[in-house]
Amino acid sequence: MSKDLEHVFVTELQNNQNIVHKVCSLYTNDRDAHNDLFQEITIQLWKAYPKFRGDSKFSTWMYRVALNTAITLYRKSKRKVNTQNYDSIIYKIKADEYDETQELQLKLMYTAVKQLGDIDKALVFLYLEDKNYTEISETLGISEVNARVKMNRIKNKLKTILNP
Amino acid sequence: MDELDILKKDWQKKGEELPKLSYNDIYKMIWKKSSSSVKWIFIISILEFLLPNLLFLIPSVRTHQLEIYYGNNSNYLLMWFTIFQYFVIFYFIFQFYKRYKEISVLDDAKTLMKNILRTRKTVKHYVIFSLSMIFLTTLLMAASVYFNPDMLSVFYKAEIPDGYTEAELRTILAIGFVIVGIIITSLIGLIYFLLYGLLIRKLNRNYRELKRMEI
Repeated sequence: MSKDLEHVFVTELQNNQNIVHKVCSLYTNDRDAHNDLFQEITIQLWKAYPKFRGDSKFSTWMYRVALNTAITLYRKSKRKVNTQNYDSIIYKIKADEYDETQELQLKLMYTAVKQLGDIDKALVFLYLEDKNYTEISETLGISEVNARVKMNRIKNKLKTILNP
Repeated sequence: MDELDILKKDWQKKGEELPKLSYNDIYKMIWKKSSSSVKWIFIISILEFLLPNLLFLIPSVRTHQLEIYYGNNSNYLLMWFTIFQYFVIFYFIFQFYKRYKEISVLDDAKTLMKNILRTRKTVKHYVIFSLSMIFLTTLLMAASVYFNPDMLSVFYKAEIPDGYTEAELRTILAIGFVIVGIIITSLIGLIYFLLYGLLIRKLNRNYRELKRMEI
């Protein structure tokens, strides 16, 4: 019985691991921290798994646990933001796909997003993952209107960074 | 198209660049130990519950205190005071356990943070209570030494050392108690506030951030 549960859980997580990796890439700056946070999220997901009733999709449920872990539960030393380091790990932008200006723009955008606070990052993350404002507000526990207002502010902030 | 949508388009394509962990990698992870802040808050809180009580295990504190408490019959009041103290401690431990159980990673971010902070607040109230009790106890000891001549015999069983009158000794002892009380109270207070600050710094910052959005 519990062997089955393990198997189902690990398979589900393996299939959906991108979500967790994306959260880790936003909230950490090097590979060690990335793996560390990934592990903590996995542990939290596994601990909470018995309460997963399947009335929502596994992936939807994962967003909440992963973000809660990154924002609230994760407690490893915060390494300094190393702007040279992270883009070489995950955000290697393929040169042939973009012209130089766009490449530079995206790089600037990612750098800017990385410098946002934990909560702002969560909003941006859910937005980038194509979540609607209802889901965003339910995950964070704020009203939909406030989520919208906040998101607009972040957009403006990013805009000024890009077009000084 | 606004800036964030350019980013979104790029973000959606990221999939193939992300690390891929195998079934076994993930399987191994689920048996690792968590190092979450909630776990640390739980451990540190238990220590904070124990710390003030551990003081009474130090032999000199215990014997002196007990003799003063029970050495003379008029101090039933102090016995009731101790019983009351333990009653309150158990109430706090029960509250703490209840709060701790309420913490669930499945809540929305704000509720989760609120529950953790409430758990910490219970511990904070307990520590403030214990510190006041410790300080009050030393004040009571100081007062009983100062106002009750019999008390002196507890500390000087043989005879009063040369060069001091009884009144002088009583004053010195009473002042000594007050000073020790202040030192112990501030020391535990300091340890507590350092731990408190370190543990919930990030949590507090993020919670304030969410609260600010509501305004």
